[in-house]
Order: sequence, then C-alpha cells, then structure tokens
Amino acid sequence: MTLTARVHDPRADDEPSGWAEFGARCGLHAVWDYGLMRLEAWMSRNPAVLGVVRDGDRIAAAATVLICRPWWRKPRYASTPTTRTACGWPRWAEVYTPWLSGYPAVVFDPDLTDDGRRAAVRAFERAVLRHVGPGLMGITYSPVYADTVSVLNRPLCRTWRNDPTTVLPNEWSTEDDWLATLSKARRTSIRRYARKIDRDPTLEVREGWGRTDTDPHELATLINRHRARLGGLPRDPRTAVAGAFLAELLRRKDVRLLTYRDADGTLLAANTLLDHPSSIVLQHWAALAPAEGGRHNLYFDCYLRCVRHLISAGRDELTSGRGLVDVKTSLGFRERELHTVAVPRLAVGAR
Amino acid sequence: MRWRRGYLRVVRSSFATVPFYRELWALGGHTDPVLLPGKAAVDGGAVVPSALTGRVGDLVPLAGGPADIDPWRGLGPVLAEHLAVTAGALVAVVDPTTPRPPVDLPEGVRSCVLDPAGLGGAYAGVFDEVANHLRRGERVVAVGGDKDLDQLAAALPELLAHRLTRAPVRAPDDLPSPVGPVALIAHPLLGVLGALGGCGRWHLDHCRVYLRATSAGAAYTLLRQRSPRLVDVIAGSGRPGLCPRHGTPVVEP
Repeated sequence: MTLTARVHDPRADDEPSGWAEFGARCGLHAVWDYGLMRLEAWMSRNPAVLGVVRDGDRIAAAATVLICRPWWRKPRYASTPTTRTACGWPRWAEVYTPWLSGYPAVVFDPDLTDDGRRAAVRAFERAVLRHVGPGLMGITYSPVYADTVSVLNRPLCRTWRNDPTTVLPNEWSTEDDWLATLSKARRTSIRRYARKIDRDPTLEVREGWGRTDTDPHELATLINRHRARLGGLPRDPRTAVAGAFLAELLRRKDVRLLTYRDADGTLLAANTLLDHPSSIVLQHWAALAPAEGGRHNLYFDCYLRCVRHLISAGRDELTSGRGLVDVKTSLGFRERELHTVAVPRLAVGAR
Repeated sequence: MRWRRGYLRVVRSSFATVPFYRELWALGGHTDPVLLPGKAAVDGGAVVPSALTGRVGDLVPLAGGPADIDPWRGLGPVLAEHLAVTAGALVAVVDPTTPRPPVDLPEGVRSCVLDPAGLGGAYAGVFDEVANHLRRGERVVAVGGDKDLDQLAAALPELLAHRLTRAPVRAPDDLPSPVGPVALIAHPLLGVLGALGGCGRWHLDHCRVYLRATSAGAAYTLLRQRSPRLVDVIAGSGRPGLCPRHGTPVVEP
C-alpha cells in the first residue's frame, strides 16, 4: 500500500478526482459537497481545507480541516489563497466539520484496516504540516467516535470525552408507535402543540426539499441571532453563517427547509434537515425568542416533523447534535459518545 | 494619490472583515483594485442601494460596530467647508423623514429637526425658536429638499425668510438640473457627499468620500465610516473629475 496525501484548498484548487465516488462510498452528507466547501471556506475566518489521502488513484481517507488563527487576533476572514500557503505565523489545525458538530470530520474508506488507517493519518498529518508550515502548533480531532480514538492516539497525544451527540434510532413503523414510547406528559404535550399549530390561522408552516422561496440572508440572520442569544462556544473556530452558503445548501434536493412565519411574514423559526440513506441530520434550529415576537413550542413541532420523515422514509437514525440533552432524551434520543484527540506539534505525523 | 490610497485601504479591509463585501467580491469579483484575478466582476464590484435592503447587519465588520444608517452623515464637515458654518449658528434640518438631528456638526453649532407639515402643530415650538434665532440676527442654515425649504420660508415673516440661509439638497442623480449658488449632494444611504463650490462645480467631501466611475454609474465609498461599511454604492451617473480652480475632486454630472 502506497499512500500519498495532499491538502486541497477549495477556494483555489479543483475538486479532487474521485471525490464524488468516495463520498458515495462512505455515505457522506451534503455538507461534504466540494462546491459548498468552497463557499464555506471563502466566508470563514478559519477556512476549511480538504485533506485527501490516496492509495494509488483511489481515495482512502479524507478530512475537513480548519486552519485556525489565534483567537486573540483581530477577527477577519482568511487571507486570499496564494501558491505559497506555509508560513511561520502560529496556527493550529482542527479536524472538524463546521456544519455537523456531532459527526467526525475524518472519514476512512470502509475497506481500510486499522493499520491502513494509522498510516493514512500519518500521511495526512504530514500533508497538513507542509500546508501550514513551521507555525503549526498541533492538530485536534474533534469529535471522533470511540472506535477511532485508538487509530489516532499515540505517545504525547491527549484524549478526552466531549459532550455526547444525540441519536434517535428508528425502531418504529408509525409516528404513533414513537409517541407511545414517550412519557405520557411529553406525548400529550407534543400532540397538543401540533393541534394548536395546525389550527393557528396566524401561523404559516411550510416545509419542502430544495426550496428556493426563502431569502437565505433572512434565514442566516435568524440563525446568527439565535446563536448569539444562546452564547457562543469558547474559542469557537466557526464563523457566522453566511447567506451565500445557505442559498446553495437549500437548493439541494436532499436538504429540507421548515419555516414558521407570522401573519405579517416575519420568520419566527426555521430548521434544516439533511437527508441521507441511513443517518438523517436535524442540522439547524433557530427561532426568535418569545420576547422578540417568537412562539413557544415550535421546537417540539419541528422534532415531530423530523421524526415523521425518519419513519416514513425508513432511515436508520436521526441525529440532532449536541446540547439540550435532557429535552432530547425526553423525545427518545440516546447519547452517542464523542471524543477529542489533541496531537501536539512534536507528535504530528509520528508513529 | 492619497485619496486613491484611502479607497484601496477601505476596499481591502472591507473584503477582509465585512460579511457583505466578502460574499459579493469573493463570489463575484472586484476590479480596480482586482481582488481575485480571473473573476469578471459585474459593474466592477459596485452595488446598487436596493441590494443593501435588509442587509445592513452584514455591513458591520466582524469585530462589531453600529448598524445605523445616518442620512445626514457628513453634513457638519460639508457645511463648515462650503458655508463657513461656525459656532453660534443654528442648523435646521427640514425633512419629514428624519428622526434624529445630525451628529457631526462643528463645535458650538446647534441643530434641530423640522417637519414642514407640522410647523403649526407638533413642531411649533421648534419653529418659534428658529424664528427667534433669526430675529436676534443669528445665522440659521436650513437644509432640506426644495419644497420643504419653500414651506419653511413661507411660514416665516418675509423679513426673517430673507435672512434664512437655504442649503437645498440634490440627489446624486439630480445634479444636472439648475441650482445655486448653495446646494448639497445627499443620498439617503450615504449621507451628505459634497456641495456646490464657489466655482459652480459639485465638490466632493473628498476627505470622507471617494468616487469612481463604473459601467452602472457613479460608485461612492465612505472612507471614514467603519460601520456600517458603505463601499462602491452606485448613486447617479456622475463621473469623477478634478476642479481646475481648486485642484480637488468633483463630480461631473
């Protein structure tokens, strides 16, 4: 096995050959689309680049890597890509998907053995080191599943558990079967909220795949406002959601947009759902606070509609990311363990 | 050259820090200066004001800043330069839509806002104060549209109306129509951009405003307003020129 690795900057480089085929083989979600990654990278403080490891011509592994500037520097978008990317400025690399916080950002070909995966990781890390230059302080893999930790871990590395992500396995044939597994209070409240929303003439609920009838900038504003209200993560490497990215994402046939609008057309809440043959993703949820004119309990109606799609489409599971674990547990979600592996500079590319 | 350098600095800084321009120029390109070689920019990367509707939040740099549009931004410096407005004068903004008086008047200059339709009602007190100011022989500069200024002058006694200094406002796309000897160029989004000079040419407030010609018309840039950032906003069809008498930038209608 001869592995070669290269870092592709979506802003400057063409799509790696065989990328679509690798995505289909590994069951990657819509956000791994190279065109979407290009938009995301342009609109980022810490641009996402794509590390690709090949075994001959075939892609054996891939990772989305955020090249991060120190958080204490003045906030600005990433510099325009040039032919010379390596420099001495301190930076670190986060192997992280900014749009799917509950999924690993490093993906291996299903046929690759554990030894092959370790070799792929080493080749990938050396490529990142070449790309970033001597200023690379280290690489973090966050999050990764428990079974990948052993592949990434080695001397000098540090590993710890993260907040878990939440997963709802599809074990039902009808929506009522799912509701029957919930507590009586939760079941009753979900049905009551759904009835109330259906009968409310001042509320317009629309959902659909590949929708183009919503202003993406209006949606981006709502999502960013929602995030700001809840408070950002400490040293969050992500940048505010950009309307240009959402415009492209929402146009896809495997992305469903659910919107709740007031009688005067104000966008009260919105949700995006990424379809997938097995693991569908409840991606964004954003709503106006009741003090700003928002409505209570739209959140539960959104979950009801997502579970409805999970069951009717016969997918294996619905994931809804991290946070609000208690509420999600009351809806039948289970926790899935996530870990972080931090690789300091001295261990980058080492066995 | 210094004027041009200021513009280049604003364009580069906006591309690096302001979401709206990042999106516009990263995907669509910008010429003069070329930010991304190979991208054919529509209208040289300039933007029509209607494209900014509902996007003012995206004109705030990543580091944060105010998101308020001030339609009378730049009034103070332009009045000081072209009308020699100094301490003791009163600037009356006659505008039915203005919620706030201008904020950048010179030290010691007072200001007020008047709605011409409410001179006998809600604005009666303000109107009396303007009249008293004129009676005392103090200077009052009235700024607003021609019709609004006519309404104010008609409401004043004839003697006082003659003492009023009128500074009518022209939109950037209305510069060719006859005007003078005093007038300002103002835009609801960009604020006050310049004034008619003593030479009869439309002088730009070049310390604060840059103008370049694009295929879609004149594109104005505010050089000193950090937030909300307004760069290459198309307004009117003027071209940049140089005043032969003063040697400073002018708008040629």
